[in-house]
Amino acid sequence: MQNLAKLLAAGVAAVFVVGAGFALLQEVVKSYTLQSLSDQDISVEQALLVAQGAIDECKKSNSVVTVAVVDRVGGIRFVLRGDGATENDVDVARRKAYTARTFRQATSKWLERTAPDAVDAKGVPILLTGQRSLDNVIDRAGGMPIIYHGDAIGGIGVTGSKGGDMADEACAEAGTKAIADQLL
Amino acid sequence: MSSFSISVKAVALAAAFGFMTSAASAQSLSVNAEQAMAAIAAMQKYAKKDGSNPSYAVLDRDGKIVLLMAGDGAAPHNLGLAQRKAYTANTFKMKTIEWRDKSAPGQPEANERSMPGVIPLGGGVPIMVGGEVIGAVGASGTRGGQTGDTDCAQAGADAAAALVKRLQASN
Repeated sequence: MQNLAKLLAAGVAAVFVVGAGFALLQEVVKSYTLQSLSDQDISVEQALLVAQGAIDECKKSNSVVTVAVVDRVGGIRFVLRGDGATENDVDVARRKAYTARTFRQATSKWLERTAPDAVDAKGVPILLTGQRSLDNVIDRAGGMPIIYHGDAIGGIGVTGSKGGDMADEACAEAGTKAIADQLL
Repeated sequence: MSSFSISVKAVALAAAFGFMTSAASAQSLSVNAEQAMAAIAAMQKYAKKDGSNPSYAVLDRDGKIVLLMAGDGAAPHNLGLAQRKAYTANTFKMKTIEWRDKSAPGQPEANERSMPGVIPLGGGVPIMVGGEVIGAVGASGTRGGQTGDTDCAQAGADAAAALVKRLQASN
């Protein structure tokens, strides 16, 4: 009988605690403005301009490249496989774009930062090599983020140029410059 | 039997096949990047009139990606659908809106739907040149549903085919 009374008391207390917690949550919610979150994202037209810019730059060295542009969540916005390229190239370009987007930097910089022997300015090991085992990334140069007011709204990846990965990255950078005036 | 005699036999066999077939490499026409861009341009024109932002896929004759483009504000599934529609049109060499009905449950070809990567939805159209399928186009996200997607993809396939024919005429 005594046990039952204890159980009842605990139950009543629990109801009060949960009730108080719920009231607190309501207060917290009220303190926010009740608007849905709105994000900036790269548009299809911007993606086309960026891709075209990269393709044109690579054409200067007679390179036929494969280009991918991803949006702010890293999903495919635009992909164009260069003539004679394989389906692997499509995936490589997409991964370069994804890596640049998600780490908000040129993939060549990210490569340096995640190298097994990478150290910071004071010579302290950085130890970020583990990032290379994330899904969808690739440890190759040739990806550039698309930054709008400090916010990464997309990324571009290029592969297949004659000058190798660093030449790919130069083309990718030229691509982002094609919409530079829109990113100010 | 020594491995030497096996290899001799293999070479002899290969030579025999070589005589049976012509020594020329197989040539097949396939949609390229420029033609895929022409398809996209035509489909964007359709979309603008339609007031929608569809997603598109252009695949080559092997069913591999040549071009993908996700429309502004597209649902996450649109691009994947466009790709599968294009693949279906390519592999069955017909508009997916026709294949959808041809493979409906109860039809003799119903089991075709169990193939991986296909989808029984209108919006995929093969790119035909001289009676040959050289690739396919898929669209997803027009206002007109499967019929609208089909019309949009048809505009894309026609534009790509026209470019191929123009190239052939000039050669």
